[in-house]
Amino acid sequence: MNVLICVKRVPMTGGKIVLTEDEQAIETRHLGFTISPHEECGVEEAARLIEAHGGESVVLTLGPPEAEEQLRECMAIGADRGILLVAEGAEWDAQATAAAIVEAIRAEDVEYDLIVFGNESADTGGYQVGIRVAYALGLPCVTGLKGLTVEDGRARCEQEVPGGRDVYVVPLPAVVTVKEGLNLPRYPSVPAKLRAQRKPVATSTPARRDSRLEKVRLALPPGQGKSAEILGHGPEAAPAVVEVMRGLGVA
Amino acid sequence: MSVLVLVEPGDELSLQALALARSLGGPVHAVSVGAPAEVAADVLHVAELEGSYAPGAWATAVTELVERLSPEVVVAAGSDRGNEVLAHVAARLDLPLAANCTEVRGDEVTRVRWGGSLLEQARVHAPLKLLTVAPYAVAAEAAGAASSVETFAPALSEADLAVRVSERVETASAGVSLTDAKVVVSGGRGVGSAEGFAIIEELAGLLGGAVGCSRVVTSAGWRPHADQVGQTGTKVSPDLYIACGISGATQHIAGCKGAKKILAINDDPEASILAHADYAVIGNLHEIVPAISAELRKARGT
Amino acid sequence: MARFDDLPRRARNEAVLVLGQRKLLQRLVPGLMHAFIFWGFLVLAPTIVMAMIAVVARGSTLPWLGRQGWFALLVDVFAVLVLAGVVAAVWIRKVQRPARFEGSHRGEADLILGLIAGIVVTLLFWHGSRIALGLNEWPAGWSPVSNGLSQLGTSRVLERSLVWAHVLLILTFLAYLPHSKHLHIATAAVNVFFGRTRARGRLEPLRFEGADEDLRFGAGTVADLTWKQVLDTFSCTECGRCQDACPAHATGKILSPKLLIMGLRDQVFAQDAEPIVGNGVPEEMVWDCVTCGACIEVCPVSIEHVDHIVDLRRHLVMVESRFPAEAEPMLRDVERSSNPWGKPQVERAAWAEGLGVRVLEPGDRAPEVLYWVGCAASFDERARLAAESTAKLLQVAGVDFAILGPRESCTGDPARRMGNEYVFQSLAERNVATLNESGVTKIVASCPHCFNTLANEYPDFGGSYEVVHHTELLAELVREGRLAPTAGEGSITYHDSCYLARHNDVRSDPRELVAAVGRPVEMERSGKQTFCCGAGGAHMWLEERGGAINEERVREAAETGAETLAVACPFCTVMLDDGVRASGRELRVVDVATLLVESLDGGA
Repeated sequence: MNVLICVKRVPMTGGKIVLTEDEQAIETRHLGFTISPHEECGVEEAARLIEAHGGESVVLTLGPPEAEEQLRECMAIGADRGILLVAEGAEWDAQATAAAIVEAIRAEDVEYDLIVFGNESADTGGYQVGIRVAYALGLPCVTGLKGLTVEDGRARCEQEVPGGRDVYVVPLPAVVTVKEGLNLPRYPSVPAKLRAQRKPVATSTPARRDSRLEKVRLALPPGQGKSAEILGHGPEAAPAVVEVMRGLGVA
Repeated sequence: MSVLVLVEPGDELSLQALALARSLGGPVHAVSVGAPAEVAADVLHVAELEGSYAPGAWATAVTELVERLSPEVVVAAGSDRGNEVLAHVAARLDLPLAANCTEVRGDEVTRVRWGGSLLEQARVHAPLKLLTVAPYAVAAEAAGAASSVETFAPALSEADLAVRVSERVETASAGVSLTDAKVVVSGGRGVGSAEGFAIIEELAGLLGGAVGCSRVVTSAGWRPHADQVGQTGTKVSPDLYIACGISGATQHIAGCKGAKKILAINDDPEASILAHADYAVIGNLHEIVPAISAELRKARGT
Repeated sequence: MARFDDLPRRARNEAVLVLGQRKLLQRLVPGLMHAFIFWGFLVLAPTIVMAMIAVVARGSTLPWLGRQGWFALLVDVFAVLVLAGVVAAVWIRKVQRPARFEGSHRGEADLILGLIAGIVVTLLFWHGSRIALGLNEWPAGWSPVSNGLSQLGTSRVLERSLVWAHVLLILTFLAYLPHSKHLHIATAAVNVFFGRTRARGRLEPLRFEGADEDLRFGAGTVADLTWKQVLDTFSCTECGRCQDACPAHATGKILSPKLLIMGLRDQVFAQDAEPIVGNGVPEEMVWDCVTCGACIEVCPVSIEHVDHIVDLRRHLVMVESRFPAEAEPMLRDVERSSNPWGKPQVERAAWAEGLGVRVLEPGDRAPEVLYWVGCAASFDERARLAAESTAKLLQVAGVDFAILGPRESCTGDPARRMGNEYVFQSLAERNVATLNESGVTKIVASCPHCFNTLANEYPDFGGSYEVVHHTELLAELVREGRLAPTAGEGSITYHDSCYLARHNDVRSDPRELVAAVGRPVEMERSGKQTFCCGAGGAHMWLEERGGAINEERVREAAETGAETLAVACPFCTVMLDDGVRASGRELRVVDVATLLVESLDGGA
């Protein structure tokens, strides 16, 4: 089967987010980069599907040239080749991103049986790129997967809901968005990393579309820099803690 | 200028979305699927759709009303379902969607990034604004009765029903679920091992709460992903969240900031979590957590 | 080639360790026992030839040597010494029964001892018999023992029987050699020659460039072992000194360096192509090791056990992705976040806020000394204090120094010791580039692991700097009078870090500092014999099975009666402090630098 996974390069923010002076972006000097945990599970799932069913998995990203680093990491987990849609400068909104991805998929010779997205990106959290791509391609889309089995040209999808799981069965080809917890991503071996350095990455620069959800500025939420009331040090603080609990009505 | 709000019966997040919708001024139309909801809208439209949830069908219900009512804003809760349905609507109507908003001022919205650790002010360039409301960003309004109720039967296509829940699998829940718990006792890297969680479980048990953990803990294999609280785990909103040995990465804070109060137990007075906590105890959690459990038992005379 | 350099030191090792039997003599009775037998074999070697000649030609012997009285005397004396050695060995093995022999092939040893005894006894009796028959080529008076035995009388048949018995025993011995641990006779001296003479804390790097088939990712099967590693396994005598010294073994884990080497040896001998881990070596053993090097220090034949462990880890981690789950976050963090704590690099200099410490930015003038703070001091609240103290001391002494702050990535030691050589090398290359671009020539590190990696391992990646540990620099500043501590009365016991005292021979400078601020009292296992705190070999991030190494060390420290336990390493600080808290004792664990700061202020 042919599987496409779409990922996004995001910074690893740590404990505190610091903005650039112009308030347009996060200050990423000294930060490492990665993909969202949702997407990592997606990449792992794609690798497992190809191991089980044969075929090819392709990883795609829309981002700066440095995003090739993330493509190589995904290829170390198991993707066979990469597609880098270079988008530099100002951010692309979800609609524009989805449109560029659709164009790239249409330009491929391959028909994908399954297209995988993270449920939402770690940074902008738009919750919509996968659904937009599915609609444009006329494919069914199931979101928030925590379980997936592919059999006889159908995907059995499980979504976590309060009290249990909702099951959807859709015929392939289909689009799915996945959540962390779908699987436990492997720790790639070094031979796999070395091979990934040599796998092909096709680069192109899609035409920029206007942003219809246009970022004006970023801001830190108020209330950061709260000052916690220190109830005490060590086990001697236990009585003070229980008193607070009583006050909250939980003890 | 009217507003259309997607609501679900008995859903607190819907009441929050409704509150934001109302703040925009103008008549409030609510739409619920399959059954009426207790919402104090000007008009409640009930879509007659039988059977299990199908996002395409719900989207059609919304788009039909959009066509009929020509609202200027369509609002839904920023839940999985709300985001999903509005994303479908956005795709069909070729409109931008601003997910997880906290505020709306004319053409500008404030929306949430990084699970809540960052805010974005954005301008919507579209005649019809689609937005979902970030959970717990807006106070819910009280449940109530709509001034008038109308039913309608959306015209569904085959594609609308192609993706539909085919069965519900109940999971046997051992104890309180994270999302329902009034108290969550959560452990991080500082707990040190899977066995170390015994004291966390003990305290959670005494408080009738649930056990949570940070992402490091699930990566280390000490707890299952189902226990993970965070941006990509479960987002909790207990009355009290106790973070033991958790440094406070934004990933994690995104999952617990819905808590009414946060108590941090940490060795490090400089840990990031203290900037987000209401209370803190500084010291070794392996001594402090059992001491709290002991104090609780003492107070109860057990 | 690495192991052919430093020839004078290698020759010296042969003289001291092989001929001089120095490591063996650290335990007096077993040492003398072996020395007698070993020296005896050296001296008696020509008699093997003599006996073989005599078997063929009854009246002949080695020209010249066979006729020397002094040689005959030596033969008699050393034959008796060998016998004394055998008796001592039998007493040690059968009466004393030390724990270090657990797991060794004792039956084999008994057989060897029997053969040795047989060889020298037959030699003495044969010489006695020759004297009785008047066949001795040497003046009989020079060989008192043989002479005495000649009084017992003899016959031609007896003399022939004895020489044949003697030669047959020797041949049996030689034939048995390659099938037993006695192979060490051939291999040990060679192994000692090729042991590391310097940069003992340095691991051999792997190559990641080139064709896939040419790359070696550590040791998966015996075919992957290097020649030195194979030589190591052939040199082991199963003496168990390493087992005794191993802190993991001492606290109930299954790791025994001796059993590790024996397991490898057996698999090599059997030419078993199965994976080593799970066959010759149990998986748990591979992870129990804290890379403290105590085993290497006591091994009389210079086996380098840590190389084996790390190579086994390399294959498990880099090829099979098979390692304790609790280490996965650390491995991912050190690769993605550039430090094993997974904290943002931006916060690396947070400890220095308000202290007036210069953070070196690109393009700045290089400082005289770069203070390499390390991840532990940057991110762990207990280790932070040592960095604050060190910075203060350098300021008081007027040293021109700076820190790299967020541009300082982890040196890569935890990744390397865990077996992830690939991640280590990418960190090393990045740090070397940063250091070289900044023009830094001298580095002081307050963490012995950083110190070891920067000093001994970074030169392999193009980074050659003068690297000192903070105790070395501080001791020098005290000697120069730039720091003036006040003497104190408090009793302080100093814990030697493995990576300082054993891998890098830094033992006296920290002691100078301790002596300058208090009354030092030594633990029994100190200096080169120090007992690990338990954090090395990436164990800061691994769960410990069995008893706790740190608690064992704390027990030893408390037994000295000292009020303060001084350390010079952030890992030791955290581990020993944990141990003190777990034991409920009153013992203050503190870095030497902090003690020094306190004494500058006029006393703690």
